[in-house]
Amino acid sequence: MTTDIVPTPTARRPGPKSWLALVGAEAKMVTRDTSGLIIPLGLPLLILVMSAAPASQEVIVNGRTALDLFVLPLVLTVIIATIGIINMPSFLAYYRRSGILRRLAVTPASPAMVLVAQVVVSLLQAVLGMILALAVAFWGFGANPPAHLWAGVGIFLLALAAMYALGMMVAAVAPTPNSAVAIGLVLFFAFGALGGLFGGVQMLPEALAPLADWLPFGAAVQALGSAWAGVALELTHLISLVTTTVVGTGVAIWLFRWE
Amino acid sequence: MDDISLSVQPGEVMGVLGANGAGKTTTVEMIAGLRTPETGTVRVLGLDPRHERGAVRQVLGVQLQQSYLHGALTVAELMDLYRSFYPDPVPAAELIDRVGLASQRRTRFERLSGGQQQRVSIALALAGRPRVVILDELTTGLDPRARRRLWSLVEQMRDDGVTVLLVSHAMDEVEHLCDRLVVLDAGRVIARGTPGEITSATRTPSLEEAFLALTGRDIDEDDDRPAERSATEAEAH
Repeated sequence: MTTDIVPTPTARRPGPKSWLALVGAEAKMVTRDTSGLIIPLGLPLLILVMSAAPASQEVIVNGRTALDLFVLPLVLTVIIATIGIINMPSFLAYYRRSGILRRLAVTPASPAMVLVAQVVVSLLQAVLGMILALAVAFWGFGANPPAHLWAGVGIFLLALAAMYALGMMVAAVAPTPNSAVAIGLVLFFAFGALGGLFGGVQMLPEALAPLADWLPFGAAVQALGSAWAGVALELTHLISLVTTTVVGTGVAIWLFRWE
Repeated sequence: MDDISLSVQPGEVMGVLGANGAGKTTTVEMIAGLRTPETGTVRVLGLDPRHERGAVRQVLGVQLQQSYLHGALTVAELMDLYRSFYPDPVPAAELIDRVGLASQRRTRFERLSGGQQQRVSIALALAGRPRVVILDELTTGLDPRARRRLWSLVEQMRDDGVTVLLVSHAMDEVEHLCDRLVVLDAGRVIARGTPGEITSATRTPSLEEAFLALTGRDIDEDDDRPAERSATEAEAH
C-alpha cells in the first residue's frame, strides 16, 4: 500500500509542554482514583501509629530510639514499595490493557514519555507519603532526624529507584491490571517478609536471614536504619539496591510493549 | 493480509470496505505503524511508518476502531493533552465544536456514551492538523444525526486537502463519502474503483448488491476465512 504526497514531513519530538501535559494528566488520573491512594498513604501511617508509642520510649544508640531506627525506616520503605511495586505497575498495565498506550502510540508521544510521567507522579505520591509519615512521627511521637541526614536522603532516593525499577519490570511483563496487582502484591509481601516487615529481620529463620541484606526491601530498611543511627552503611545493602535498579530498569526497557 | 496494494492521492477520500474479519483493521494498523508487514512496503507521505515514526506521526491522525483514553479526564482535558503533542494544534474549543461535544467539555470520558466517546476519539485524531487521516469505523454506534455531522466533517477535511482513509462496513457511508474504494475479502483486494465503477462492473444497482455479488454474502456476516497465499508476493502481506 502506498500513499505519496510532497513535501516530506520531518520528525519533531514533543517538547516540555507535552511532558508537562502528560504529567498533569497522570496526576489527575491518580488523584481521581481515591482508592488507589489509601494503601500507599494509609497502610504506612497505620504501621507507624500502631508501633510508634512504645518504640519512641526506647533509646538504642546516639540518642535515637527504636522508632527512629526501625519503625521509620520500615514505614518509609513500605511507602515507596507500595507505590513503586503495586500502584504504578497497575496503572501502566491498565493503560496497556485498555488501549490507552496503543492510542498514544499513534501520536508523537513516545513510550518513554508515558513511563516518565508515571514515575514523576508516583514520585510525588511517595514524597507526599513521606512528608505525612515524618510529620506524624516528629510532631506526634517525638521522632529524631537521621544522624547522617544526607546519607538518609541518598538511601531513600536509591531505594526509591530500586522499587520503581521493580515496578517498571512488573508493568512490562504483566498482561492485565489484575495480574499487575497480583505480581506486585506477591513481590511486595515476599520482599517485605524477607526484609523485616513482620516483626523485624531478627525474627527470620537463620537460613533466610541473609536474604534480608541482599533483597531490596530489607536492604532499604537496614540502610535507612544505619543512616538514622549514624553508623557506617553496609556495602551489601548498597549493592542490592543498585543492582535492583539497574537490572529492573534494563528488563523493563527490554520488555516494555504498547500492547 | 495477502497481495494488498493501494495508493491514496492527496485530498482524496479512499474507502476500505469489508466484512468483519476481512483485514481492514490489520491494514490500518500497518499504515499507522502498529504492525509490520511480513513483506512489502508501506509509505505515508513517502515515509516508512515503522522506521520514520517520528515524522509520520506529526502528519498522521488516526482514529482506531478499538482504543480508549484516560477515562478520568474530561473531554477538554483530553483535548489539551493530545494537542500538546503537536507543534501547531487545532484550538481545543474548535475541535470540541467540530464533533458537537461543547456541552460535554467538562464531562469525564468514562461517563460519555459510546457514540460520544467515538466523537472524542475522532476529534483527537484531528488535533495536530494532520495531512493524512485514518478513520476506522467512523460512525459505528452513532445515531443518524451524529453520523451526518461526522460525514460533514470528512467532507470538510477533503475540501481542506486532507487525505482520508475511511475504513468501514457501512455501505451508505462509503457510497456517500468515498471518491474511490477497495473491497477487501479474506485479506485480499477483490475490487477497486469508484463506487459507480464497482456497481457497474458487477451490474448491480447498489454497493450493497455489488458486495453481495463479489463475496457471495452480506457485509454484516463475519469473514473468518484465512487469506490464501499467492505465489507472487506483492506490496503488503
